[in-house]
Amino acid sequence: MSQSLRPYLTAVRYSLEAALTLSNFSSQEVERHNRPEVEVPNTSAELLLQPMHISRNENEQVLIEPSVNSVRMSLMVKQADEIEQILVHKFTRFLEQRAEAFYILRRVPIPGYSISFLITNKHTESMKTGKLVDFIIEFMEEVDKEISEIKLFLNARARFVAEAYLDEFVY
Amino acid sequence: MEADWRRIDIDAFDPESGRLTAADLVPPYPTIVTLQELQPRMNQLRSLATSGDSTGAVQLLTTDPPYSADAATKEQYFVSVLEALTQVRQADIGNMVKTLNDAQKDILVKYLYKGMSVPQGQKQGGILLAWLEKITQVSGVTPIVHYISDRRTV
Amino acid sequence: MLHLQPQNLLIQKTLNESIEALHQDSPLTMDRIVSDFDYTTYHISNSAEDKSVLLLSIKTKAWVSASECQLDGSRTLLKFLADHYSPLGGLTIPAQMEPGYDYTLQLSLSELTQDSILQLSVLKTVILSYPFELAIAKFTELSQQQPAPIEAEITGGEVAANGDNTLFTIKYRDEENIFIKPSNDRITIIFETIFQDETDKIFGKVFLQEFVDARKRNRQIQSAPQVLYSHEPPLELKKSYQPPKVAEQSRRFITFVLFPRHFQTKELQFHSICQLTLFRNYFHYHIKCSKAYMHSRMRFRVDSFIKVLNRAKVDEDDENDESSADARQQARRTFTGRKIVY
Repeated sequence: MSQSLRPYLTAVRYSLEAALTLSNFSSQEVERHNRPEVEVPNTSAELLLQPMHISRNENEQVLIEPSVNSVRMSLMVKQADEIEQILVHKFTRFLEQRAEAFYILRRVPIPGYSISFLITNKHTESMKTGKLVDFIIEFMEEVDKEISEIKLFLNARARFVAEAYLDEFVY
Repeated sequence: MEADWRRIDIDAFDPESGRLTAADLVPPYPTIVTLQELQPRMNQLRSLATSGDSTGAVQLLTTDPPYSADAATKEQYFVSVLEALTQVRQADIGNMVKTLNDAQKDILVKYLYKGMSVPQGQKQGGILLAWLEKITQVSGVTPIVHYISDRRTV
Repeated sequence: MLHLQPQNLLIQKTLNESIEALHQDSPLTMDRIVSDFDYTTYHISNSAEDKSVLLLSIKTKAWVSASECQLDGSRTLLKFLADHYSPLGGLTIPAQMEPGYDYTLQLSLSELTQDSILQLSVLKTVILSYPFELAIAKFTELSQQQPAPIEAEITGGEVAANGDNTLFTIKYRDEENIFIKPSNDRITIIFETIFQDETDKIFGKVFLQEFVDARKRNRQIQSAPQVLYSHEPPLELKKSYQPPKVAEQSRRFITFVLFPRHFQTKELQFHSICQLTLFRNYFHYHIKCSKAYMHSRMRFRVDSFIKVLNRAKVDEDDENDESSADARQQARRTFTGRKIVY
């Protein structure tokens, strides 16, 4: 693991652990509703806690927005050039389309970020918090790795294909 | 506007609704610190940082932060704080954190999260993360929990 | 499968089947439509009275533009095809083309040789090779008039520009063309292609960059044609071709520069032409392959992520509990006590 990645992941881990102390909380606005307060705009500021920005650099950031019964965590994945941009876009879209299987994945990222998670008290009641944090940390590691691997593969394939084609003209 | 009048949030216009906004949550301060009053402190921070007395600078910035100042003043003040924090060598961070008491750590964590939310701090992301890592090594998750629940901002 | 083959396997298979059936005295009644790249379709059918005679017709987007290519009027596409196919065993050219198709050949199954079958399966390539052959003829003419000056290599397109203005165009797809420009020391082939979506465009860029760089990097293929690519029509086309305004952002021009060594003999010539006519198909095919691979990777990744996430789930301790299992059984009965079977 590279030198600057470790503190980044540690910071995210501790911040998430601090934020994931959720309790069941019924809506104050609508009777018999129970909604993730972080997703309800303009009401009850007292239910929202201080948001946490964690940034490794301008292109790799995490935003954690805690509230009384839910935490929204948004991830900005490194996108160095237009190939990585399209790969990140495709990959996150692919995951979001399968959000049902991921329970905590938000279908749409919040503006400016690549992918968002929404963890509610329902999730922390049915899953181990520590393991949830593990998942997010592993996700962050793997996404970067996956994107750069696909990019490398694409370049290698393009090179191979081009050489194989031009090879046909060599006599 | 007329088309979606049903969507208007009428409770927002009702002063009796009992709804709280972010502004309502700011604790009341007896006095408001102004930029002029902070200026000597900023100069002191800067001279401590440039003269190499990082310990002094960190001690100064983690005591009695200007909670009551307005946003623009905090912005100005933060620039010199960031400068002082980034002057410290990576190797010294660990020892420096050990000299801080719990309240000071809480304040430092506030500055770190603030730093990572603004562009000039994000450029220094590495060093801010190093600070945060050292703090969590010493006191674990405690200062972060204090940060998210504290309404006094830096 | 790395390379695409110029021959159409379905045609070969169909013809071989028919011959086989004829030998066993049970000739097939044939009416098949076979497709090929770039909106090309073949129609293979029996002639009404004699089942040992087949008609093979082709319809292709490139036909109109290819038959418009002329050098001095002495040669036409029809004549070119007739010259190519009539010497082969078992092939005759009927006076009338099948309605709805561009070209028809009549096959006598009993006389058909393997070589004829092979040639029939590359019918599309042969049609496309006609403008290339013309270009090579023009090249020969030009190079005899004015032997290639030594500095031609250096000045590049300039020499070609003040020479001749012959330009052959093949409209092989709706919005995409192949341009062939002979000059006195080289033949320039320019492909125009359009990327249908954003991913294709960016993948295409990666691939094209590799096509451009491949020759510089790998000494083994130094003698391959030089490849260039651009967003704008290259110099050779500037005067004679204005691309339509549609899809301007995703239009690319790929230039191949062929030197005499690439078409010295008949075999080399046909081989080069085969490869060139398949370029677009090859290129887009590999872009699609990369996308498919990317998707299979992502699918795998999703599975592994879900596995990690499922580790977080609290085990349902009462899963094996006798009473709760019973309770669930109870819950699956209807009001009258019937079991609900899922």
